[in-house]
Formats: sequence, structure tokens, C-alpha cells
Amino acid sequence: MSTRRDFLRVAFVGAAGLAVGAGAGYYIREGEVLSLRKRVDELLSKIGIELEDNLNIYNWTWYANLNLIEDFEKQHGLKLVYEFFEDLDTALSVIRAGQPVYDVAVISDNEAQELYQEGYLQEIDLDKIPNFEHVPEGFKGLEYDPDNTFSVIYSYGTTGLGYNSEVVDKPITKWEDIFDVDNPDSHIRRYAGKVTMMPDSGETLGAALIYLGYDPDSVNESELQEAADVLLAQKQYLYGYKSTEDYMDVLPVGTPYAISHAWNGDIAGAVYAADEYEVLIERYYEHLRYVVPEEGAIAWYDNFVIPANAVNINAAHAFINWFLDPVISAIHCITIKYPYPAGLKYTPTELKEDPMIFTPPEVWDRLFIGRPMTPEERALREQYWTMVMTG
Amino acid sequence: MSKSDVILKIYTILLLGIIYVPIGVLIVFSFNNSRNRAVFTGFTLENYYRLLADERVWSSFYNSIWVAIVVTIASVFFAILLSYAVTRYDFKGKDILDMLLLIPIIIPEIVEALTLLLFFIIIGIPLSPWTIIIGHIAFDISFAYLVIKARMAGYDPQYEEAARTLGADELKTFFRVTLPILLPGIIAASLIAFVESYDDFIKSYFTRPGGFSTLPVHIWSMASRRGVTVDLNALATIVVIIAIFFAYIRIKMERWM
Amino acid sequence: MSRLEEERKPFHIKILDRIRASKLLKIIVLLAPASIFLAIFFFSPFIIALMYSFNMFKQVVYTYVFVPRISLEYYIRLLDFPGIFVTMQRSFYYAIVTVILTLLLSYPAAYYIGFKLDPKYKSTAVLLFIIPFWVNFLLRTYSMKFVLHDEGLVNTLLMTLGLIKEPIRFLGTDLAVIIVMAYDYMFLMFLPLYGVLEKLDKELLEAAATLGASPYKTFLKVTLPLSSPGIIAGSLLVFIPAVGEFIIPMLVGGVNTTTLGTLIYSFFITVRGEAGWGIGSAAGLIYIIFIMVLSYLYIKLVGAEVQFG
Repeated sequence: MSTRRDFLRVAFVGAAGLAVGAGAGYYIREGEVLSLRKRVDELLSKIGIELEDNLNIYNWTWYANLNLIEDFEKQHGLKLVYEFFEDLDTALSVIRAGQPVYDVAVISDNEAQELYQEGYLQEIDLDKIPNFEHVPEGFKGLEYDPDNTFSVIYSYGTTGLGYNSEVVDKPITKWEDIFDVDNPDSHIRRYAGKVTMMPDSGETLGAALIYLGYDPDSVNESELQEAADVLLAQKQYLYGYKSTEDYMDVLPVGTPYAISHAWNGDIAGAVYAADEYEVLIERYYEHLRYVVPEEGAIAWYDNFVIPANAVNINAAHAFINWFLDPVISAIHCITIKYPYPAGLKYTPTELKEDPMIFTPPEVWDRLFIGRPMTPEERALREQYWTMVMTG
Repeated sequence: MSKSDVILKIYTILLLGIIYVPIGVLIVFSFNNSRNRAVFTGFTLENYYRLLADERVWSSFYNSIWVAIVVTIASVFFAILLSYAVTRYDFKGKDILDMLLLIPIIIPEIVEALTLLLFFIIIGIPLSPWTIIIGHIAFDISFAYLVIKARMAGYDPQYEEAARTLGADELKTFFRVTLPILLPGIIAASLIAFVESYDDFIKSYFTRPGGFSTLPVHIWSMASRRGVTVDLNALATIVVIIAIFFAYIRIKMERWM
Repeated sequence: MSRLEEERKPFHIKILDRIRASKLLKIIVLLAPASIFLAIFFFSPFIIALMYSFNMFKQVVYTYVFVPRISLEYYIRLLDFPGIFVTMQRSFYYAIVTVILTLLLSYPAAYYIGFKLDPKYKSTAVLLFIIPFWVNFLLRTYSMKFVLHDEGLVNTLLMTLGLIKEPIRFLGTDLAVIIVMAYDYMFLMFLPLYGVLEKLDKELLEAAATLGASPYKTFLKVTLPLSSPGIIAGSLLVFIPAVGEFIIPMLVGGVNTTTLGTLIYSFFITVRGEAGWGIGSAAGLIYIIFIMVLSYLYIKLVGAEVQFG
């Protein structure tokens, strides 16, 4: 990496909280950060809440600026534990088990609703989150939680296909390209052993169902069987089932694999060579592509939730409130390359116009937004999924 | 030397060389100044500076050490009592006891760890560093027991008898006679128990509380995150040096066992 | 000591005296701490898992309610599970190939070091052999990922030598899992082999030679049978961890490398709710029973105490 990047990193870390947005000429000076802190503190004292000494956060990998998180920790003098997960199945099983205990977690739309209905989430007190006002109307009261009873928007996006265009000569446009194993000219056959799918039941089963023309949330046994057959047939041409940490690292290089079932922001992050610290906008790997396949794709909303057994409730609210601050949200966005709705006002145009980060309106027409399922329906789908994984 | 002996010798030397290759690669690349995993572009110590400045590495190392010390003390204590009972007294069910004490060593750790986690969750014991310690003691008792029992069975109880004839009671005899004779065995057992705990990943990983890692758990989280490759290599090099140290001590101990 | 003095003694001294006087009490006091500990924290988790596998717990948010019923549902679902037999087959295949590979690789070296090498170098040679295996298991596995990578050492070497044009794909394949398992577990085979070969009676072999047996024949008829306890011990020591291997397939395996270990893990972690834990417990218990039967047979058969590296 260039020395300039190194310099920026040093500058950023050195000023501890002073964020430098390069590229689009974004500078957030220390003074601004200080006044921001003051504002947050004022808001907190106005409501009169006192924070606990600890805060345990459970979030996806590559989803927040870790320097800022550390800054939050220092600012409030608490002991903050920030742990990662890479697939939703694991996160959900941890939250259902209730061990380890987390105070804040980031969970996707319908799964959050199911957790709440089963009693695993507590209600969020919006009075303790004054910054909620910065969330754009379109991200408040979404279908799975009309009154924001238990969830507050974190980020959103799509699940499509990312690939390295230096390796893959013909553009990928459809799910068919990676599922149609009978066509020797399809990508899956031509790049056999160089394709990965996600190790996530909802996403991968969903993709196969969309390819077959069904609802990605189908619980029809014959449709699920068909989807499982498609995935099993595809399996022998796959490199593996890989998630964020792996494909963000491998796709820019293009070996051992070059096509991945991926989330939009991860591919954007790879293009900008994002890490979890540097606040800058500079495209590094222009040869990476992200497509929302023509047949359609899954759209998702990730949310802050507070598990039912959380103990540091005030700190949890304070953290959510802090994250929803427009400037803080924007810095997270500049760092990670996922859209954080609350930070829209300060998000650089360059990023706002990047279709990999902010899904353009014309794409929304072909996106599927999930529906909540009963535990029986989930169990049924898992059966087919485990069949695929072990087959 | 016959021809076959020469071939055997060459083979052995070759094998000894090859088993060092993967670790050697890690060590070499820990000095690499590029984050690329395959090409060596230049020598640097920066990875080490960065690693040693990382608070989480130090805290996980510290955790590993204190957990292992507590585990060692507890399991060696349990093992001494068990070995004493088994070698000095006759009672029914000795064979069964021996068999039962082998179980923690033979059964696959992944099953042991998951059932222990299930147990903690169902009983409602919150995960803490102590849940890790409990898990480690459960298999370390067996390791320590095997070593101490072998030592205790291996020496002549007439020293103890002599002490008792001279008027010392059993407790006194134990502390004045048995324990000093046993000491090398106890040290060896402690070393094994310590390393088994210090090096354990699976049980620590599943029974740890949020935010608490031991060194292997930290290594795992580094290995499963992108962009920290060279830091991990630097850590690996340090771990290798510690391992050589342990191996050396253990070989020195062998003659006491 | 007068009776009065006896009565004046503090309570705990009295208890100590009583313990001193009774052999049975002594044994109980010696055995109790470890037994109680293991009963609570080692054996009862399996009983809980057994109860769970028979569907005797009902989960209500974070609490678990005992339900007096016995249902075989989870066992039936486990056996109905489409991938279960393929996974078992694969685990056995990995373990058996690993055992054979480690045996073939380490026997010549163990034979040479234990039998041929000048005794004064023996312990150094053994030390040299063991050191790599004292490095943390995760790091060893992780380092193999480097070596086997498409652009890793093996491929670079083979390509430079002109033996191959395209890199060989190791990562994500059965081959990678087996190579790494063989590497990680070789010392478990080496140590018992060395232990047996080192104690082998040289005079016996000389006698065989004097009687006119060729070195080849001597090896087959004398050395090999005599080293069989080492072979059996080593095979068991490698087989047990290999058959349930969990980390290696996760780190270097690919699409088709699910093993019993990863399967049980995925039941527990990725399948939602009670069913996952139930089926996972059932699978884990069956697996443990199998391993225990195997070990029991071994102990009955060979009678030797298992050596642990």
C-alpha cells in the first residue's frame, strides 16, 4: 500500500478521534468531534441517564470504524467488548442461547422480529435515543417493526454476486450464470472451482429459490427440494462456502476463486480497500464488480437490537444514540462503505452515487424483502440447508 | 553402514527438515514488509512492533498464563490425592476408577466442549474465566493423574513404612517423605497440565465469556480475520520460541518421570 | 489422653482423628475432591446431553424446563438426516488414510532413531522431531495453509522446477485435509513407535541374522510383529482425534469436507433452537460411545497403557 495511506492512518490514529476524510475533501476536525461529544453528553444529561461500566456489543465483521468505537469507549469510561460474527445463523444461536451475554447486537429484519416474538429481545426506549430523529423517514417503522419497538436501523443492502473482472472475461448478469451447471458455457462451468457461495442458510437457499423463479422465503417442500438439488448440483463446481473475511481478501487477487455470492458493501469495501480504521475514499481495485442479478435478489435491513438478557441497558441506548449521530454515522460509512441512513446528510456524494453502496432506485423493483417465519418454517428450511451442506 | 541404513538416515533427516518447513515459512514471512502472503519483498521488524503494541495480545497471553496456573494447581492437587489412594490402599472399583479417568483424555474435545457449554446454559451458570478453568481441570486431572500415579507406583513404599515405624503419623510421613520423593513427578505433571491448558483452544473457545480470550482463542480470531496475516506470523514466531522452551524443559523432565 | 481432654478437642481435630483412624474414611477423603469435581463438571454434562437428546428439556426463552418424557425424535431425525452416512464415511476415510499415512511416514524415522542411531544422539533427534508439534495446533494448521496455497511454497517450488504449469489446487480439497491431518498428528504415531522400537532387543535380530534370515525377512518376521503394540497404540492415538477432526476441515477444507466434528458443531451452532442441540447431543453421544468402545477394545486387546505424547 502506498505511503500516503500509511500516513493517513498514522495521522488518524495519532489524533485519536480526529477523523480525516480524504478523497472528497472531507475533514472532520478535532474541534468538531469535541463539540459533537459535548452535544451528545448534553443530550444524555438532559434525559438524566447514567451509564453502566460495561458494554458488550455483538456485530458483523467489517461493519464499523473501530477507532471510533474505541473513542466511544474512552469517552464514556466504560469497558467495551466488541465481538464479531460472520453469519447470521451463528449470531442467532448465540442470542437464543443467551451466552455470552451481549447488550447490543446487529440483526437482520425478519430474524429480529422472530427473536422479539420469541421473547429474546427487549424493547428499545426511543426517548433515550434522541438521535433517532436523524434516521430518514424511509428507514423508520419498517414493515417488520412498524413502531420501532425493538429495532433501530443500522444499515441495509442487497445480496448479489461479486467478481474479479480481470479473471472473469464475460460479465455476470444472472443467477443462471452460477447455477446452470448443464450449460458448459456458463460461468459456473467455465470457472469451476473458482466460485463461492455464502455459508448462510437464508441467503444461499434464497438465491437458489430466486433462480428457480420462486419466493426466496418459500416453505413449499417441493420448491425447497428443487432448490436443494440445484445447490447440490452446483456444489461440485464450487470452491467453498465463504463469507466476508474470506472473499474480501481473495476477490481482489482473483485466486483461488474469482466469483463470490456476496453482500454489496463488502464488495464496495474491497474496491476501496477499506479496513476498519482508515477514513478515506480512494478506489483501489477497479476491476471488482458487483451485480444484483436480473432474476432479482434479497434485500435486507440490519438493525440494532437489545437482547432480553442484556444488563447494561443505558450504555446500550447511549451506544445506539451515539452511532446514529449524523457525523459519526457518516464516518462509519466513509470507513466501511456500507450505507448508514442516519449519516446521509454528511455522506460524501461520491459514495452516495456509488451503486455498490447505495442501491439505486431502479434496482429496488427486483428486490425481495423477506417475511417473518414461524420456528417450524425455519426448521423445515434448515433441514434442506443442512442437507446441502453435508451432501 | 549398510545401504539401507544410509537410505533410512537420509529419509529421517529429510523428514526432520520437512516438518519444520511450514513453521519456517511463518517465521520468514513474519519479517516481510508486504502484506502479500506469497511474496517476500523486504525485511522489517515493524510487524513485531505492531504486535507488541497490541494490548489484546498481551491480555490474552496474560489470561492464558493465569488460567493455566490455576488449572495446574487444582488438577495436580486432585491428582495427588487420587494417586495416593490408588497406590497405597486397596479398594474395590480401582480398575473402574482407572478407566473412568481415561475417558476425559480419549473422548473428542469438540463433544466435551459443546456438552459442557450446554450444561452451563441449562444449569444457568454464566460463562466466566472460571468456566474455562473448570473445563480445563476436567481433562487435566487425568493427565496429571497418569504421570503422578506412575511415579508413585514406581517407588518402594518401604521409605514410608520406615518413617512410620520411627513414629511419624501418616500425614507427617506424606509431607516429609512421600512428597519429596514425588516432587519430580509432580513437576512433570504440572508441566503437562500447564501446557495442555495453555494450549487448549476448543474448550476455551466454547466456554469463554464475551471479551475474554486466551492466546489460542486470540490466534483463532486473528486467523479468521483478514488483513492481520503478518501480525499473526509475528505472533506465531514468538509462540514457536515459547514452544521450543517448553519442549526443552519437558525433555529434561523425561528422565524424572 | 484423658476422656476430658478428648472431649475438649475442637470439632475439626476430632474429625481429623476419626479420619486417621478409619481406612475407609481416608480413601473417601482422598477420592472425594476429584470425584465430586468430575462428577459435576465432566460426567453430568453428558447426562444433561443425554436427557436433552431424549427431548427432556423444554426451552422457554433463557430457562430450561424439565419435562418427564422420553422421545426418540432427535435420534430418528439424526438417522433420517440425508448427509449423516456420507459424513461418517468421509470422517472414517480421512481418519484411516491419516493413520496409514502417518504410519508410513514415521515408521522409517522411528526405526532409524530408535534402533539404528547412536544412543547419545537419540534424545536430541526425538526432541527435534517433537518441537514442531509443540507449537500451537492452530498455528501449525494455519502455517500449512500458507504452504498449500495456490501461490504457496509447494506450488511455487513445483512451478519453478517446471514440474507443473498450473498450480495444483490443494486448499478446499480432501487432499489438503488429509495432508494437514497427517502433518498435525504425525508425532502421535511417532512417539509410541519410537517407544517400542527403542526397547527392541537387538540380540534377537542378530540371532535371526545368524540363522540366515535376510534383513528383509528379519524385518517382516521379527521387527514388525514386535513393534505391533506401538503401531496399534499410534493408530489409536491418531485415529481418535482424526475421526472427529473439527478445526482442520474448517481451516483448509472446502465444500465436501464435512466431518463428524464439523457436523456436530453445525448442529449445535447453526441449526436453530432445541432441535439443533437435541440432534447435536444425540450425534455427540453416539460418537463418544463409539470412541469408548474402540478404546476399551484396544485396552483389552493390547493391555498396554496408552502413551500420551
